[in-house]
Amino acid sequence: MDFEQNQSAHSMEKQALDGQELKKYIEAGLTWLRTNQQIVNSLNVFPVPDGDTGTNMVLTMQAAYDEIANNNETNFGKIVHSVAHGALMGARGNSGVILSQIWRGFARAVDNINVLDAEYLVKGLAMARDTAYKGVVRPVEGTILTVAKDVATAAQIAFTEKADMKYILEKIVTAANESVERTPELLPVLKEAGVVDSGGKGLFFILEGMLRYVKGLPLESPTTTVQPLASMNLQRTMETIEPGQDVEVVIDFRPYDKFDIEDFYNNLEKIGTSIQLGEGDGIYRLHIHVADGRQYEPIEYVKKVGVFTKVAMENLAVQMEQIELKSSGSQLTLARVEPGQIAAVAVVPGPGIARVFASLGVAAIVHGGQTMNPSTQEILSAFENLPTDKIVILPNNKNIIQTAEAASTLTVKRVSVIPSRSVPQGLAAMMRLIPHGDFDEVVKEMNKAMFDVESGEITRATRSVEIDGVAVKEGEFIALHNGKLVLSTTNLQEATLGLLRSAHADHFELITLFYGIDVTKQEANRIADEIRFAYPEQEIEVQDGGQPHYYFIISIE
Amino acid sequence: MTKEDLPLGSIQVSPRAIATIAYQAALRSYGVVGLAHKNFLNGVSHAIVKDPQYGIDVSYDGVEINIDIYIIVEYGTRIAQVASSVKDTVRYQVEKAIGLPVSTVNVHVRGLRISEED
Repeated sequence: MDFEQNQSAHSMEKQALDGQELKKYIEAGLTWLRTNQQIVNSLNVFPVPDGDTGTNMVLTMQAAYDEIANNNETNFGKIVHSVAHGALMGARGNSGVILSQIWRGFARAVDNINVLDAEYLVKGLAMARDTAYKGVVRPVEGTILTVAKDVATAAQIAFTEKADMKYILEKIVTAANESVERTPELLPVLKEAGVVDSGGKGLFFILEGMLRYVKGLPLESPTTTVQPLASMNLQRTMETIEPGQDVEVVIDFRPYDKFDIEDFYNNLEKIGTSIQLGEGDGIYRLHIHVADGRQYEPIEYVKKVGVFTKVAMENLAVQMEQIELKSSGSQLTLARVEPGQIAAVAVVPGPGIARVFASLGVAAIVHGGQTMNPSTQEILSAFENLPTDKIVILPNNKNIIQTAEAASTLTVKRVSVIPSRSVPQGLAAMMRLIPHGDFDEVVKEMNKAMFDVESGEITRATRSVEIDGVAVKEGEFIALHNGKLVLSTTNLQEATLGLLRSAHADHFELITLFYGIDVTKQEANRIADEIRFAYPEQEIEVQDGGQPHYYFIISIE
Repeated sequence: MTKEDLPLGSIQVSPRAIATIAYQAALRSYGVVGLAHKNFLNGVSHAIVKDPQYGIDVSYDGVEINIDIYIIVEYGTRIAQVASSVKDTVRYQVEKAIGLPVSTVNVHVRGLRISEED
């Protein structure tokens, strides 16, 4: 960080910026916007899409950055043209379109200049404003347009005071912030909702990110985020502990009336890292990593801003060793998703099945199955936490399809429910996931693939009943083929073989048995051997599914 | 005529009123630099009179409200995004104003305006 700081301070001292240096500014703006993406998203007032403004702007800026990421051009004007081109091609949503116009205007003003100086910066911002305003017949004030206008004006004024780029940048960030704060006065719908304009706020974060870069401030950790208490994910931060920051301190507190979150973050950043702040019902929870010996400093600090109710401390170094011991080899590695890619979410009934889905490239797992339906909220959070807006979900149980559909209507992301009624159907569909593919095509393929496989389930009857012409006594093993009851018997092996018969397993190639928590590995292997004997032509696989209720989930393909 | 029967009478909203709402919403949508008529001859006659529903077609068959919008888009914007935002804005504003669901909003991009060359 020190190195970067010196370097950027240097580039500003030169009073000129070339194309390669601009790249770092764009990256800083993008990173800072992404860090604060959820804040921008939460400002949406429009109950219909413009989608999540934060996400849209991040995707637009990402496209702009991707366009120049591997470009070695030093000519400033040429790089800005590439940025504008990338933003145009990747523009998402209304705010993304306006953002792309801002870049386009800026690019026009600096056409073919070698390095940017203060004068061109001011010209560029003025042209950015003009171009942005030309894109609409009746500009609505109190939006990102107003912020772009106020930024251009502030740049002009600052330039007359001091022809210094860093000075101008500081002034325009302040102006952008003030302009954003004024948006509710200009646009009644914002005032009614009690928020500021989201697009304007996004533009502010981009500019502020650039300024933070110049000042050498961190860009990855948010300074003003407060998340709901329930969603504070402490486990994840454990994986990223920094050397030397050995103690994790969690403090619950109730702040006094005046609580300045930004100030709070700024002060804590001097004490430790991995700072998270959660809020629920007026109680705040602070989470921070500090070096051994400094663990009491956060408590002392919190005492200045409020009354603490509970403190918890853990030695991370020791904890990490334990985690590594416990999880060696068994940790679930989920697929990493890039913005714009298609991500798959799977609802799974057991840890073993989760691993199989993970190995096929699922990006998020929600636990649930028969009698343990996940809530709409759980599924929705899985959607929201993915960094992309194209998602498919595999419910893997007929009872969960509806919940998945309900969750998909609550997000502005594009979600398609692949109505898999069983784990085997879900796995078959997963085989066709192409993260880079065309969304509609992939969804179509996945829907089709579901029926390439026969599903079998072996469970125990919870009551005596007669269904589909089969008499069932309570406690007996029952076999379901594609969800339809085919037989009931007192013997697990018989139920399994009976199921395979009914599914005409001899016409297929591969039989996979996922055994549940009620079956031992030995028992599962023994039954698998019986199956091998009965079906010598077919390949038999045995997997630890870890699901409750179902002795076996069987995939026949 | 869009009709809503209430216990004490009824409220009627004419397609013309809906068109006016849609017209205003479309002109405020980013990237829209004008509206166009769906056919040229009507366009000529309408160019003379200032019409609050120029470039908008509203049909109501007693069940569904369908809106067609003919727009001109600023050259150099991502047209698909502009059109989709017009569709969302118009639907939202009309539904908010009249309180009845709109079944379809079709956006037709009739032309581009080049204000400045890149």
